[in-house]
Amino acid sequence: MSSFEDLLYAFTEWLRTTPLVELSLSISEHPVSLLIQTNFWAIPTLQTLHILAIAAAFGAVLMLNFRVLGLAGGSRTMEQTVRRYVPWIWWALAALIVTGIGMVVGEPVRELINPIFWIKMGMIVIAIALSLWFFGAVRRNMTRWEAGRARGGVRAGAAVLILLWCTIMVAGRWIAYAPV
Amino acid sequence: MNLGTLWQSLETSGVGTFVAESAWAFPLLESLHVIALVTVVGSIAIMDLRLLGLAGRGWTVTALSRDTLPLTWGAFVLAAITGGLLFVSRATTYVINPWFLVKMVLLVLAGVNMAILHSFAWKSVHQWDSTASVPTAAKVAGGLSLVFWILVVFCGRVIGFTLAV
Repeated sequence: MSSFEDLLYAFTEWLRTTPLVELSLSISEHPVSLLIQTNFWAIPTLQTLHILAIAAAFGAVLMLNFRVLGLAGGSRTMEQTVRRYVPWIWWALAALIVTGIGMVVGEPVRELINPIFWIKMGMIVIAIALSLWFFGAVRRNMTRWEAGRARGGVRAGAAVLILLWCTIMVAGRWIAYAPV
Repeated sequence: MNLGTLWQSLETSGVGTFVAESAWAFPLLESLHVIALVTVVGSIAIMDLRLLGLAGRGWTVTALSRDTLPLTWGAFVLAAITGGLLFVSRATTYVINPWFLVKMVLLVLAGVNMAILHSFAWKSVHQWDSTASVPTAAKVAGGLSLVFWILVVFCGRVIGFTLAV
């Protein structure tokens, strides 16, 4: 067993000693949870909506970052690109949170007593913070970049953000495979 | 060779067995499949919403197409490759799953829809490229595309819940 797997098992064991266990069990007895548990289509529907929200958010992130990287979107200014795509990211994030909460309420143990779930949450916090900081910097500097592409550090930032969101998606899929 | 033995031989092939028996291959392929499919759906949605006149009206249709089409195609190829590898690992199980079959039909429909759009309405695109009024045929194509792809995602998810075998 690799040391990363050992870490995950240790993390799971620790989670089992926290109040999350009692919280999960009480959530699972709540009428809304029971509704989701007993309706075959509830979880697949929540997951589908979650995936569609990811598509909206990731599509917007790609268009924004491609504009920064000079790979696409050159027909419009950085400011126009930001104004067109950023609202979609916020609305998609709201949808992700709502559907995410739905899935946690429907299957609390599977999510909350799961190391991968918490790793994913941590990465999301980091990704949001980095995105806000990064696009704050983009907004402040965009008139300087209109003539061409942004300089190296900024392009690296755009690439890092795309990779970070991809890692979050991988974590999302691996929730299903974590030791519980 | 009849179809039944084709699926079986795919499943028992080196690739099929490897993906099925490896602890990480299937989850990794699934993860790449997700990244690919959200890129396909996200980039197609940008085009569809433009055709429907619901978003991105400040961009010409051809500019958005230039921005998104390479991404859509690249991601689709990745989705097809990862999907194919996933399929091979449990071919006999998937071919009898109605949700998988419907998903394949929907993919064909989405492709045909796109081909029709590009063969007909697209011919006159420079006349309506930057106007607010997109021809009805193109609007319908955009709307159908969204419906097909949303259903593809749904069917894809339900496959995982209906592998009763």
